[in-house]
Amino acid sequence: MRLTDEEKKLLDGGEGYLAQRCMRFLVDYGDAAGAECLVDIDGTVDLHPGVNPCWVPDYRLSQDEIEDAAKRGYRFKTVTFTNKPVPGFIIDGCEGCLTYPSSDPAYRDRRMSQIRPLIEMGAIPTFSCDYYLSGTFWPTAGQHCSWGESSAIPWVNAVLGARANFDGCFQAAFIGKIPKYDLHLDENRVATVKVTMDGELKNDIDYELFGWAASEQLEMRVPALLNVGRPTVSRLVKLNTGLTSGGQVRMYHIPGVTPEASSVEAAFRGNKPSEEIVISREDLRRVYDLVNCASDKDVDFVYLGCPHYNIAEVQNAARLLNGKKLRAELWIMTGPVVYYLAERMGLRRIIERAGGKLMSGTCVGELNGELLPYRVMATDSAKQNYYVTGHLHPREIQIWYGTAEECIDAAVTGQWRGEWKR
Amino acid sequence: METVTYMKKEEIIIRGRTVYPGKTEGEALVSKGPMMGWGNVKADAGYTVERGHPLYEMPFKGKILILPFIRGSGGFMAYGASALFGSNPAAILISQPMSIAIMTAMILKHPVMTDFDRDPSKAADTGDFVYVNADEGYIRIVKGGHS
Repeated sequence: MRLTDEEKKLLDGGEGYLAQRCMRFLVDYGDAAGAECLVDIDGTVDLHPGVNPCWVPDYRLSQDEIEDAAKRGYRFKTVTFTNKPVPGFIIDGCEGCLTYPSSDPAYRDRRMSQIRPLIEMGAIPTFSCDYYLSGTFWPTAGQHCSWGESSAIPWVNAVLGARANFDGCFQAAFIGKIPKYDLHLDENRVATVKVTMDGELKNDIDYELFGWAASEQLEMRVPALLNVGRPTVSRLVKLNTGLTSGGQVRMYHIPGVTPEASSVEAAFRGNKPSEEIVISREDLRRVYDLVNCASDKDVDFVYLGCPHYNIAEVQNAARLLNGKKLRAELWIMTGPVVYYLAERMGLRRIIERAGGKLMSGTCVGELNGELLPYRVMATDSAKQNYYVTGHLHPREIQIWYGTAEECIDAAVTGQWRGEWKR
Repeated sequence: METVTYMKKEEIIIRGRTVYPGKTEGEALVSKGPMMGWGNVKADAGYTVERGHPLYEMPFKGKILILPFIRGSGGFMAYGASALFGSNPAAILISQPMSIAIMTAMILKHPVMTDFDRDPSKAADTGDFVYVNADEGYIRIVKGGHS
């Protein structure tokens, strides 16, 4: 990789030991990736706090080293957000949630104290997989970023028109640079495949099913998505989650909606699509059947919030729960910012009065084996549904998938009554 | 007296880009579709528990793991972390590159290649024998097993 004089100085230790360690990672990573150079991050960085602010153990700084850096007054160069901590723990609403050790506030406080040095260095404690919704500060179109959450990568690239690979880490935040390759480069952001929805996308989960079905065929290619309407924020998040679960679509265009394509022609930069794919409601139905891996209608656990619910989704859930009494355990998961809003709006009280729990900072998957031995779960997230059976392995669990309304109905009645809507 | 006829097995040589160098060889374990991570790779046991995956619970220790691309989470890096338990593949060949593959290689510290001139996940089948020369940037697939 070609380095500037300033970068060589960092690598040679001319700017101190910590900068040298961080540069070593960026250079080795860039060389392995085949990048020609580094690029200055003028956008934002997203990292997973906890034991893992760097993905590659050999390059990780120890807890002591990070605490020492914070004490010495070292600060991140970039605006840096914290994703969900790894391994997961519940930040708000952990009390009485029946899972151990996350139900213990002392455990939560101990884990939080490990993250405090990162916050002192400038990390913003959004603690959410969709921190970009509650973070109040976005990269603008064209800015270079370094993010790290599969469902968030299409948000930064497609929805915002900023540029990022999945590589958010301590080193990127501290140095403010990242290898310039793949989605940082113009030529890798142009649509090559036209995907047309034949039929209507009727509700939020249809967007996740569409994304999943399309990405199975797209694999990693960049599509222009046609006839998908003007999706709400909730639907875009669902779409992005599907696109990075069935396949690995990190960049797409919705002509007239996303910033890098005002028209279909602009999405393809005047080139002809290499392939045209049509997705029908039957394709959505196939994915719906794939993720619905349950036969027992007696539901004992309902999980909402993958990716973390935004405030409108929490509000909708609270309205559906108002005045109800639950027969099944219900978790609604969000980030701490949305939790705070829901608290102020009285939504948490409504959810709790029904017998449900509002929580922040993690999810069932991230808590791994901590989930109590529920037998039959329901969720409105195909992603969470598909991963959780692996997380709980070798324990077996049945998981239903449907709309938020169907999931809340299951929490109220203890029965799964969801069904495919043509 | 017996007559033995030696049939030369079909060999395929494919060039690619080295992500992590080294030379190794072994039996191919091929995923024709993508593989995912995030809690679905049992790094210690050395197999995937992705629901319905054709390689479900099939050990990858010592194999040449071949797949077209990574789908979903960065948790795929658990394939790299399997090296900490000694249950790791001898090499990983990922047809379509991305950052998660690069960092997986940096964790694995065994040969990893990508960007091939022919897709090895299509050319190879489980049970083929594969020589990986990541130092010189090519692989050799012997169809049907060891020649």
